[in-house]
Amino acid sequence: MLDLLAQTSLNAVYAASYISLIAVGLVLIFGVMGVINFAHGELFMLGAYAVVALYADMQLPFLMAVAAGLLFVGLLGLVMERTLFRPLKDNPLGGLVASIGLLMILQALAVLGFGVRMEHVPPVTQEVIAFSDKVRLPLARLYVIVAAVLLLTGLWYFLKRTRFGWALRASAQDPEAAALQGISITQTARIAMFIGAALAGVAGALTAPLVSVNPHMGHSVIVTAFIVIIVGGVGSLEGAVIASVVYAFVHTFVTTLYDGVIADIVGLSLMLLVLIVRPTGLFGSADRA
Amino acid sequence: MISRFTRRTFLKSTAVTAVSAGLPRFAAAQGNTIRIGFLAPLTGPVAAWGKPGLDGCMIWAERINAAGGIKLADGSYQVEFVSYDNEYDPAKARTGATKLIREDGASFIMMLGGDTWPGVQPVADRTGMLFSTLLPSDLSPDTTTLIAPAEVHPIYNVTGVEWLAENRPELQTAVICAQDDALGLPSIATYLAAFEAAGIEMQDDPLLFDPATTDFAPVVTRLISKSPDIVCLDTCYSDYVHPICEQLFQQGYKGQIISCTADFYDQIIAKTSREFMEGFVFQFPDFDDPALNADHINFVDPNGFYAEYNKRHPGQWGAVSWEYASIMDLWKAAAEKAGSADPDAVAAAMKEGGKGEHAFGTADWWGTELFGIDNALVGDWPVVAIEDGKATIKEFRSIPAWYAKHGDLLIKHMTAYDQMWNQRG
Repeated sequence: MLDLLAQTSLNAVYAASYISLIAVGLVLIFGVMGVINFAHGELFMLGAYAVVALYADMQLPFLMAVAAGLLFVGLLGLVMERTLFRPLKDNPLGGLVASIGLLMILQALAVLGFGVRMEHVPPVTQEVIAFSDKVRLPLARLYVIVAAVLLLTGLWYFLKRTRFGWALRASAQDPEAAALQGISITQTARIAMFIGAALAGVAGALTAPLVSVNPHMGHSVIVTAFIVIIVGGVGSLEGAVIASVVYAFVHTFVTTLYDGVIADIVGLSLMLLVLIVRPTGLFGSADRA
Repeated sequence: MISRFTRRTFLKSTAVTAVSAGLPRFAAAQGNTIRIGFLAPLTGPVAAWGKPGLDGCMIWAERINAAGGIKLADGSYQVEFVSYDNEYDPAKARTGATKLIREDGASFIMMLGGDTWPGVQPVADRTGMLFSTLLPSDLSPDTTTLIAPAEVHPIYNVTGVEWLAENRPELQTAVICAQDDALGLPSIATYLAAFEAAGIEMQDDPLLFDPATTDFAPVVTRLISKSPDIVCLDTCYSDYVHPICEQLFQQGYKGQIISCTADFYDQIIAKTSREFMEGFVFQFPDFDDPALNADHINFVDPNGFYAEYNKRHPGQWGAVSWEYASIMDLWKAAAEKAGSADPDAVAAAMKEGGKGEHAFGTADWWGTELFGIDNALVGDWPVVAIEDGKATIKEFRSIPAWYAKHGDLLIKHMTAYDQMWNQRG
């Protein structure tokens, strides 16, 4: 039983890692721009396809493909900010609808570019850290965990210790007051969109060898990300990380001890419970909600 | 806004609709071409069981047309496939069925079936169009124009378990997992019956997962927690089979794996190892297998078909690549026998004498007990194992023979999972 609990905990830590990368990006975009980006799952998908194209097809080194995925999806985020969200910045519903349209376009482009079937991504490594016969952590999963910790720590440092980070947080808290202080709202929106998209892209790129890469893979992660940001508190980065950990542990343990369908029900029930008890989420404030 | 939709426009459009609705339902032959509808998922997660089938049909059509086409009472006809992507969505399937019948004049429509059939059934009832499904669990006494002539999914899975039990009697315990959907549940019932018939103990209740699952580590951790001799992957889609196998490998599982399908198994080997996948049992052969050249095989030139398929679509051979084409072999033979492409005439010719020439040998039209109607063509089915990295047919086994001995078990488990024809909603 101890082995089972230990292995399940390792599985949950991995799940929390990639979920938090996606959720934090989604929260950042919403916090600064006020846009609910439904195409965020497709940014995750594009990051995975960057690895398919560069690592699986062109046989470039995996880390180079991941870096390219991060950059490519981040730049795509900038394009989205300029062409979709900035023109619709006074119309939150318009931004939401535009992101749904973009979601479909990106899926269709992936189908046109790569076909409908799942892509084969060769394993980065088959090495496994064996704590015992039944407690094992594949090195490829450890990479995702380490990368998530490094990236989120870097983001925390950027937001808390740099002038750009302060500007970003100020814009998220009160855009008008931030603008009066000379902070460029457009500039902060660009930074937020780049970082948010890049985090989704790098999550997709890092996990590409571990999941089925297909044009529709963004669907399930966006649902999970929305549950997480509602539980954590819409607009709260700390909340997104903590809720990712809570959700990942709950979902993983229920899947292992009962089954995956019940785990989904429990995950949604967790969200409903938080909405009833604390409608702003665990770390959200009434202003952001 | 001023509406341009005047009373005159309304009357005109109504008249046009009324006249077109009165046209013959089945334009069986348009010029010298017979159109066959292909209504399956060509995009989305289930596309692997649609698109490769359409690719196979295109090769089939070229071969038939080059050989002179389909010979009916009033002459020879070329065959043309008209496809509609239903994205495995019942509403889209319904729209597609209507379009294929009304606009494209299809004489016969092939489907994957499953979740999409309930959307199409009203169209079938209304038009009398002959449809085929790969999933006989769609059959019921009400589906008189639906046939399952290629595979009796999931019943043939019993042959794999039976073969395994005879050839590896040391395997005594098993676990099973599946996605919670119309493909997964009847397959679970079938595997449970097969394991019970073989005297193999289930260590746990079947583990169901949401079809949207992407991380299979928790599923696999649970599956192998009691060290089962056999892990059964049911009828999981290839998007699940691959990551589950990879997780089984990474979490150190060393036992037997059995699955309904192992599409693109070369990729699974690449993600695990040749040794890990050695002996993996499933039900769908590569058609370059020498065993398919036996006299009792009815599929025409399987090795040549496989070579042509791989030339055009390298690395994309899958479970359904040949199945829709094999249905067309049956349909062509029946249409030529009837001398007509009329759905009723073809269906009657196909079922005449209660036997049909299935791809894997002569088979019986069967299914009253399980499906409430004898519209499934059932005979032998191959058991396939991976040997030295290559799918190899180990044996052809009779599904009716298994059912004659253990049919009560199958009915028991199908009933427990609400999968009998009179239980399905």
